[in-house]
Amino acid sequence: MNQLWLIPFLPLAGFLLNGLVALVASSARAENESGADHPGAPLPYAQRLFHGIVGVGSVGLAAVLSFAALVPYALGSMRAPEGLAPIVQTVYTWMAAGDYTVDVAFRLDALSALMLSFVTFVGTLIHVYSVGYMQKEEGYGRYFSYLNLFMFAMLTLVLADSLPLLFVGWEGVGLCSYLLIGYYYDKDFCAAAGKKAFIANRVGDFGMVLGIFGVFALFGTADFSFVELAKRQVLAGNAPLGVYAVCLLLFLGACGKSAQVPLHVWLPDAMAGPTPVSALIHAATMVTAGVYLVARCSALFVLSPDALTLVAWIGAGTAIFAATIGLAQNDIKKVLAYSTVSQLGYMFLACGVGAFSAGMFHVFTHAFFKACLFLGSGSVIMSMHHEQDMRKMGGLAGRIPQTFRTMLVATLAIAGVFPLAGFFSKDMILGSAAASGHWALYAVGLFTAGLTAFYMFRLVSMTFFGKARGHGHGHGEHAHESPPTMTVPLWILAAFSVVAGLLGVPVALGGSDRIGRFLEASVAHPEIHEMSHGLEIGLMLLSVGVAVTGLAWAWRWYGKAAGPAEAVSPEAQAFHERTGALGRLVANKWNVDEGIEALVLSPFRKIGTFLWRGFDALFIDGIANASAFLVELLGDLLRFFTTGHVRNYALAFTLGFAALVAYVWMS
Amino acid sequence: MTGVLPGVAPMAVPPGAFLVVATLLFAIGLAGALLKRNALSIFLSIELMMNAVNLLFLTYARMRGDLAGQMIVFFVIAVAAAEAAVGLAIFVALFRAHRTVDVDKIALLKW
Amino acid sequence: MPALSGELVVFGFASLLVLAFALLMVVQKTPVRSVLSLVVTFFGLSVLAILLAAPFIAALQIFVYAGAILVLFLFVIMLLNLKEEAADKDDRPVQRTLGLLVALALGGLLAGATLRAPLPPRGTPTGTPIPMPDEIPALGRLLFSDYLLAFEVLSLLLLVAAVGALLLSKRRFE
Repeated sequence: MNQLWLIPFLPLAGFLLNGLVALVASSARAENESGADHPGAPLPYAQRLFHGIVGVGSVGLAAVLSFAALVPYALGSMRAPEGLAPIVQTVYTWMAAGDYTVDVAFRLDALSALMLSFVTFVGTLIHVYSVGYMQKEEGYGRYFSYLNLFMFAMLTLVLADSLPLLFVGWEGVGLCSYLLIGYYYDKDFCAAAGKKAFIANRVGDFGMVLGIFGVFALFGTADFSFVELAKRQVLAGNAPLGVYAVCLLLFLGACGKSAQVPLHVWLPDAMAGPTPVSALIHAATMVTAGVYLVARCSALFVLSPDALTLVAWIGAGTAIFAATIGLAQNDIKKVLAYSTVSQLGYMFLACGVGAFSAGMFHVFTHAFFKACLFLGSGSVIMSMHHEQDMRKMGGLAGRIPQTFRTMLVATLAIAGVFPLAGFFSKDMILGSAAASGHWALYAVGLFTAGLTAFYMFRLVSMTFFGKARGHGHGHGEHAHESPPTMTVPLWILAAFSVVAGLLGVPVALGGSDRIGRFLEASVAHPEIHEMSHGLEIGLMLLSVGVAVTGLAWAWRWYGKAAGPAEAVSPEAQAFHERTGALGRLVANKWNVDEGIEALVLSPFRKIGTFLWRGFDALFIDGIANASAFLVELLGDLLRFFTTGHVRNYALAFTLGFAALVAYVWMS
Repeated sequence: MTGVLPGVAPMAVPPGAFLVVATLLFAIGLAGALLKRNALSIFLSIELMMNAVNLLFLTYARMRGDLAGQMIVFFVIAVAAAEAAVGLAIFVALFRAHRTVDVDKIALLKW
Repeated sequence: MPALSGELVVFGFASLLVLAFALLMVVQKTPVRSVLSLVVTFFGLSVLAILLAAPFIAALQIFVYAGAILVLFLFVIMLLNLKEEAADKDDRPVQRTLGLLVALALGGLLAGATLRAPLPPRGTPTGTPIPMPDEIPALGRLLFSDYLLAFEVLSLLLLVAAVGALLLSKRRFE
């Protein structure tokens, strides 16, 4: 199929259509409504139907087209010994300078095919879910148009054939993230969260843009043909420092987008947006764009081992850092947010040890189980009438059984229990770390896996097990299951959380590592270390053991939680008191936000105030005022020339004339 | 300045002398215009300056052997006549308004 | 020292006359006396014009300038009954000294400049030579051919001046 451009542009058309109708309808409604009507009422059914059909339909159609394109490509690629050549479709010449052009061109190769598959599929499911979740919102049309715009930007990012076009998509998803996080724009903290997301992304984008310039400087081109050049180690004026710097800059961009420390601060706050937004953008798709970027530029990163080490350590550090914070959170969405940050850390860890396909595999599986978890939490929140504090939940297993079962499956997947998806992808990462000799990274990853299992099962226990806690309106007794538009996507995602792992069954267990072979053509491979199958199976058993330990521990502390809402688990409470100040620090997110405020924001504000008061008001205004004053002074002095006597005037121009004559005489 | 142009009849009086006289006349007229307080006297000084210029024109016409200079003088005299008429009319009007012809006393545009 | 000829003597006498009476005109306090001095100056200038092979101009000078313009001046003086210049001393010393200095300086500068300036070569369209001594017909021919437009405009100018003078000196506009 040669019409790759349709895939991003169908959601764009959806955005335009939905947006236009929403605008027109809302202005018509504003004219018709008298002041007595309360705002925020749901839209009429016909309009909701329209928005839903256009929204879901455009993305669904894009998904169908995607699969129509990538399935033949994938099958053909598996059969061919070296994989198929990428399909590139050039649509339009965007910039031309001299003999270098940047085109709007879309590229389908193994890497983008993988991303395309789950982005469109999970995206469609989430659109369907949103139909049910957002039906009572007045901004229903606005929501779907923004969501479609996001899909357009994300698909542009995934299918881009050059770094500039990727960056267009990159910025687009950042914008849509801001728009959607601040969807409830009348709430201050939602708007602030949107701003925080955008600004933190901006810091990363700064690095990204410089990185793109660096790539161009090194290779003379910024489209992905530079990957080929890098693979063949062809560099114009090869400078290892230059490669290192460019890698760092690109990685800075990836950190911003994929919420690595210290640019992770926007992701937990982004939970202020609607839950399907959190599922789509901040779990399955946008945040993985950073990993995608690193995988795309893998050939470049491979040329700079120092950069790779940095990537790995930042990834590992973020993983364990976020996992510790997740242990102490009480808001169900915040736990999932920190879990996302932690899992993203895993992906970067994989890339850092050279196992780019392992990282991409984890992106793939993570999309399914994380989206399932987020959508499930949305279902929980809806049934609890918008209560998000887990301490007020409990005993929901019987009341919302479908949500419970799907979330349990997804939790087991993320914990890495065999044979669900998370096990295979996480194990591929840990195995690669061990195989390449980075045992410290392996240890960190293993410990974090245990933490992951623990806090995820804590979430499940506090939400679903035990007796119903909470008072007032959000009573567990009044909870009811969600409509099918919400539960069907949950089941589909849970199913994929189970089977998606089968794409990457390692050789040691008798599989053929299909995904690794599939991606081979697109990503770079540093020296491939071999590990004995025995060792590999041993490590797998170890990780399963760690996971099960985490699950069991969480069950022990929270499974039979019978305490009041404030101290759900007496054991946990005792532990928290024992850890004292450290515990409080962890509970307060390690004070990162306060640190950034003190180290970065506060000085900037002081500088800004100084420039405003000291420099602008005093100096620049002073110059303006002084010049006005001088002109006035001059005028006051010069006015004495107008004496009113014609003789003086005659004298004046006679003097001038004399001067002229003198001048002419001299020259 | 040199003498007459080639092909022109020579002058008995050196042309430079005429030029000096004309310039001096101009300077005298200028002094009068700047120093007198009576408006009429100023006017007369201006007329003197114009005549000095006429003399210059005539001198150059003779030096170049060109009749155009005399033509210019002709026109200058005619225009001076017109100018004198109008200027004196203004002078009369001024006198009627202010009862004086002292330019120092008619300084309305003072700051 | 050029040869002492009659022309030179006449020139010397005329220029002396001119300069002396011009100075006198400037110095006089009574307007009438200034005008009369100027008349003598004009007579001298006429003589100088004759020396410069411009007898027609010389005649014009007497007829128009001395005979009409200055008479007009006298009329106005008598009409307004202008007396001696005000006796109070000139209270603008800066103007007086500066004016005198500037006038002297300018005089010197101009004299020097004119003496140094080279004569541009003849190449103008109206390079009509002066037929001596009979240049009046040639002048007339020139006036009504090359300078016809200027001549007509001049007539218009005179008309305008007459009308303007009339308007300006009315007692009031009824």
